[in-house]
Amino acid sequence: MSLTARIIPCLDVRDGRVVKGINFENIVDAGDPAEVAKRYDLEGADEICMLDIDASYQKRSTTLATVEAIANQVFIPFTVGGGIKKIQDIEVLLKSGADKVSINTSAILEPELIQHASKEFGSQCIVVAIDAKKEGDSWSVFTHGGKNKTQLNAIDWSKKVEDLGAGEILMTSMDKDGTKSGYDNELNQKLASALKIPLIASGGAGTLDHLVDAIKIGEADAVLAASIFHYKEISIERVKEELIKNKISVRSNS
Amino acid sequence: MQIGIVDYGASNIFSVLRAISFLGAEAKIVTNPEELKSIDKIILPGQGSMGSCINNLKKNDLFESLKKSLSEKPYLGICLGLQVLFSLSEESPKDKGLNIFPEKVERLTKKRNLKIPHMGWNQVEFKKDHFINNDIPNSSNFYFVHSFASKKLNEKNVFSQTEHGEIFNSAVLHENIIGVQFHPEKSGDPGLKFLKNFIDWKI
Repeated sequence: MSLTARIIPCLDVRDGRVVKGINFENIVDAGDPAEVAKRYDLEGADEICMLDIDASYQKRSTTLATVEAIANQVFIPFTVGGGIKKIQDIEVLLKSGADKVSINTSAILEPELIQHASKEFGSQCIVVAIDAKKEGDSWSVFTHGGKNKTQLNAIDWSKKVEDLGAGEILMTSMDKDGTKSGYDNELNQKLASALKIPLIASGGAGTLDHLVDAIKIGEADAVLAASIFHYKEISIERVKEELIKNKISVRSNS
Repeated sequence: MQIGIVDYGASNIFSVLRAISFLGAEAKIVTNPEELKSIDKIILPGQGSMGSCINNLKKNDLFESLKKSLSEKPYLGICLGLQVLFSLSEESPKDKGLNIFPEKVERLTKKRNLKIPHMGWNQVEFKKDHFINNDIPNSSNFYFVHSFASKKLNEKNVFSQTEHGEIFNSAVLHENIIGVQFHPEKSGDPGLKFLKNFIDWKI
């Protein structure tokens, strides 16, 4: 046997509540984060990811309370992202109960942060999140939740952060995100063969086949999804059954 | 009954503390030899490198007192807390471990298509029945994050094994001392059960 493929549900959190909305518009309240996380845990989630979608400085204490509430009840790996700018931000999140932090825009604005953070806390807890969009034959990296385009190429940038000490890459395809048309397997496969660290695929999950393909064709080590789990369109248990059918090893839910 | 969680700067002490509190036991963070004396059971969590683990323990006067406590109190070493039980690790050969096991900790072998660190959920095959793995189905998945492991060990001390390109000892055992390479505090139900059994274990 070897490592199992990981299924990671993601919670978007604002003001201490799970929220759902398309492109952050028409946001609706969708529950208490700790309760939702607990439900995913019981369904067999292999990790939990929480994204703080308006991680402003003023609301930091609400975020930390939410992290703590989840960590007090859920005993599987727990990643927190959103608004991380400096070493101290990481330190308080880890102390509040996060096992890993996910860093996106700040990694681009200040790549040394990755280096310092992985030295200080270990690579295993530093996830670098990348938002990328296909342009011609390559993929460009965007910052600030997909608002600003950079000159970076997604594959080169991934390798760079791996060298800087990132422990995992969380790749979100902006082309696929929200479309429910499947993950960007072309991008993911290219990344998987270029990287030595695990790859988490994100953006585009709509059907069971999409999750299977992300692992089989995209060669991702883990798949992240939000809305399909959130709206109970597909249960995590069902995903695992389908992966087993496709001879992909998963963690049994017992 | 009070469980002491040894704090020498490892970042995962709080998740261990949370899990123990969730299970209803009394846990205390231990930072010096006096506190170590007062507690009933010891958990040594760990993350980072073997050298810094040993040096931080020494810096806080905990190395020698820990060695002494190992002959008296139930001990659970997690991750580096397992590795420190060996005589030494390839990771930092100059720093001598607690030497409960004379063998050494080795680097996991790099192979094609195999990622190191070994990070994620993997199966634990228990080789022995013990109070601590009571009610935990064999081959349960536990969560791992590590690049070094015990590969060679006297069979009587091998509690469980796991495969990641090669077979390594994912849990070790010697009288009142248990070491696990996985993170029970992050391994869902089987992990919580393992910790609960450690809480209830009487020697």
